[in-house]
Amino acid sequence: MPVIVCPSCDLAHRTAVERASERTRCARCLASLQRPENGSVDAAIALSIAALVLFLLSNAYPLVAISSNGSTRSATLIGAALGFYRQDHGGLAALVFVTTVVGPFLQIASLLYLLIPLRRKQRAPGQNTVFRLLALVRPWTFIEVFMLGAVVALVRVAAYARVLPGVALWSCALLMLTLAALTSRTSPGQFWRWVEDSQA
Amino acid sequence: MNLPATGRSLGLLVCLQCHATVRALQVPHPRCPRCRAHLFQRKRHSLALTAALLLCAAILYVPANLLPVMYTITIFDEERDTIMSGVLVLLHSGSWPIAVLVFIASIVVPLLKIVSLSVVLFSAWRRSPRYRTQRSELFRMVEFIGRWSMLDVYAISLLVALVQIRSLAFVAVGWGALAFAAVVVLTQFAARTFDERLLWEAPP
Repeated sequence: MPVIVCPSCDLAHRTAVERASERTRCARCLASLQRPENGSVDAAIALSIAALVLFLLSNAYPLVAISSNGSTRSATLIGAALGFYRQDHGGLAALVFVTTVVGPFLQIASLLYLLIPLRRKQRAPGQNTVFRLLALVRPWTFIEVFMLGAVVALVRVAAYARVLPGVALWSCALLMLTLAALTSRTSPGQFWRWVEDSQA
Repeated sequence: MNLPATGRSLGLLVCLQCHATVRALQVPHPRCPRCRAHLFQRKRHSLALTAALLLCAAILYVPANLLPVMYTITIFDEERDTIMSGVLVLLHSGSWPIAVLVFIASIVVPLLKIVSLSVVLFSAWRRSPRYRTQRSELFRMVEFIGRWSMLDVYAISLLVALVQIRSLAFVAVGWGALAFAAVVVLTQFAARTFDERLLWEAPP
């Protein structure tokens, strides 16, 4: 019988089926152990393409504009990071830029790079390195936190000026939902299942 | 005593990257046969690294809350906002649900994170056998909610980018924002360097 080891507490479990049909938890620490990984590559690619389009829209159009006494000013997603940079806070600018622009982009681009060849039963060159890059940027993609931060900022500004939501505000909200769906459908376990199936 | 079979006792390694279970090899730097990530029985220097990052975060928590995170400069006056006064501004402007949200994300979560990680770290160091499952779950919860503390940093970033109507109103960044962002980043790293499996080590 195959043995699987819990990554959270090191407890060894004997398992009758290597491919669980439902979610299983560690008997000792209750961490998630197995998930039914039977999603389709096509659905993941479709979601990645949708995310890419939404990402481009989010960066091409302004998030929001404010108008007060006849003067209008708008801000884009990159503009949020640039504001910090212009005030000599390069560290904060880099943090915002990486977590809202670089992170989502690398996540979408690396998934497309990995999944499109898999669909044709091929492996992308440097697959393992790209996969590790994906695992590295994933915990640093904070687009959903940014959206909530934007709401807080708009509530504060609304007391002094008129707030005009831009195209990117809506595309960013959709990007947040698409990325969440994409992340849950492309867990490491699921990805390596696809790789194994493509070799069979 | 009847010890449960663990990866270590059976000579098995689990890849933290792709969760494959692998037979431990007697080579200097074993790698996962599936994803080629480095394999190790436990994260190296986990307790020391987590303790160091956590200490830095705890020290920076003070300036993060005392220093102004932003200045609002208008022709009439100059307002300094700390994290807490930002919450009060939201409360007075009548949007209390948002004020509560910011209070939880910016004040409660970072503090809860520093305290919980310290408890988990200390008990792992002592190899305490009590409440292991609860501590394990506490750690995972902290890891999950930690990111939401970035809320205020993003709110400030948008205010700085938007409110630049020269001679009318102008928002400037304060050093408190940098300290606050550093607390969030350091605690995120502290959670990542901590090896959860140390909570389950047999008592000495």
